[in-house]
Amino acid sequence: MENGGAHAAGHSAAAVEIYPLSRYYFGAKDAFPDKDENPLDRIQRLKSNFASHGLRTCVLGVLLVELFRHPHVLVLQVKNCFFKLPGGRLRPGEQDVDGLKRKLSRMLSLEDCAINDNWQIGECVGMWWRSEFETLPFPYPPPNSRRPKECTKVFLVRLPVSRQFVVPRHLKLLAVPLYQIHDNSEVYGPIISGIPHLLSKFSFNIIDDD
Amino acid sequence: MVGSPMVNLYPLANYTFGTKEPKMEKDTSVSDRLARMKVNYMKEGMRTSVEAILLVQEHRHPHLLLLQIGNTFCKLPGGRLKPGENEIEGLKRKLCSKLAVNSPSFSPNWQVGECVAVWWRPNFETVMYPYCPPHITKPKECKKLFIVHLSEREYFAVPRNLKLLAVPLFELYDNVQRYGPVISTIPQQLSRFQFNLICS
Repeated sequence: MENGGAHAAGHSAAAVEIYPLSRYYFGAKDAFPDKDENPLDRIQRLKSNFASHGLRTCVLGVLLVELFRHPHVLVLQVKNCFFKLPGGRLRPGEQDVDGLKRKLSRMLSLEDCAINDNWQIGECVGMWWRSEFETLPFPYPPPNSRRPKECTKVFLVRLPVSRQFVVPRHLKLLAVPLYQIHDNSEVYGPIISGIPHLLSKFSFNIIDDD
Repeated sequence: MVGSPMVNLYPLANYTFGTKEPKMEKDTSVSDRLARMKVNYMKEGMRTSVEAILLVQEHRHPHLLLLQIGNTFCKLPGGRLKPGENEIEGLKRKLCSKLAVNSPSFSPNWQVGECVAVWWRPNFETVMYPYCPPHITKPKECKKLFIVHLSEREYFAVPRNLKLLAVPLFELYDNVQRYGPVISTIPQQLSRFQFNLICS
């Protein structure tokens, strides 16, 4: 992509390599039992966990591939309706990076365990806070000094030139272009639809040897 | 994993705001502005502009400094780079022009930090995107937002025709109608920073 004019010298943009979708392989593994509880029971469970362990921390991964010269985010679709990023809740005392690797392997690898998986976790690109479990997340801690109940950290994950993704059968893995998730909170929710804003400072090197 | 980058935020009361001579906008309408942009593009190629995110603290919540023109239109301090100008030097030049006393000995020591957002203008129209849209090979403008770390105390001189506001992040978030797509998405772009809210 040319710019029609020289980029001014100075700050070099953080660069991210992305590879064509065709370099990746996709398979399926057995579904794991998703907690099929009703929303009210879930809120109750989260509240009692908060009483025992404090702030609930979730970690999510942004995995990028290239298609038609445009970055695409790997997004999981649950029950053919709602969308989520790979990731999930940290166990009490678990570090962000370890927890994210654990979740990525569980959702995207043949092995459920992360020990042999080579995930490259990059920088945190954004954070979201909830003041209650049933309310929307916001990109800042609650301004009224109330303790947040949940914090979600979004990390860039740097994919290698090729790898195999093995997805549990109850989830569908999609590659969605940035222009489709941009400003599309109705379909993807505030966290996924906000990803183009969190990634805008990066310059993407599309590595395509073909 | 890299730890969250830190930013110190000082109370709004630590900063003094004086005035200086008016700095009028070069264009009186959106269509004039786009026409001038086209002329400049023919001469110099893609326009690169740089803008500053200046933050203070009030009631233990980060506030963004915005310049208000007239009764409603708000913008970040910044502007167009000269052809070949370094981004950081250009941003400092714009900050002095918009916010500093017109005297070299009283220039604030602007600490330009990292770039937090980049916006692209595909055509000579007002719409911009946080990525270069597919099939666009010749974008007309690239706008970069930088966080600028303020010192504990500072004296700003604001042009008489502009008002400097300190707006809380919760007021900007999702408020596209009032602040536009660039300013209303700054809270998400700042969410990864750890703010050290310093009270007086």
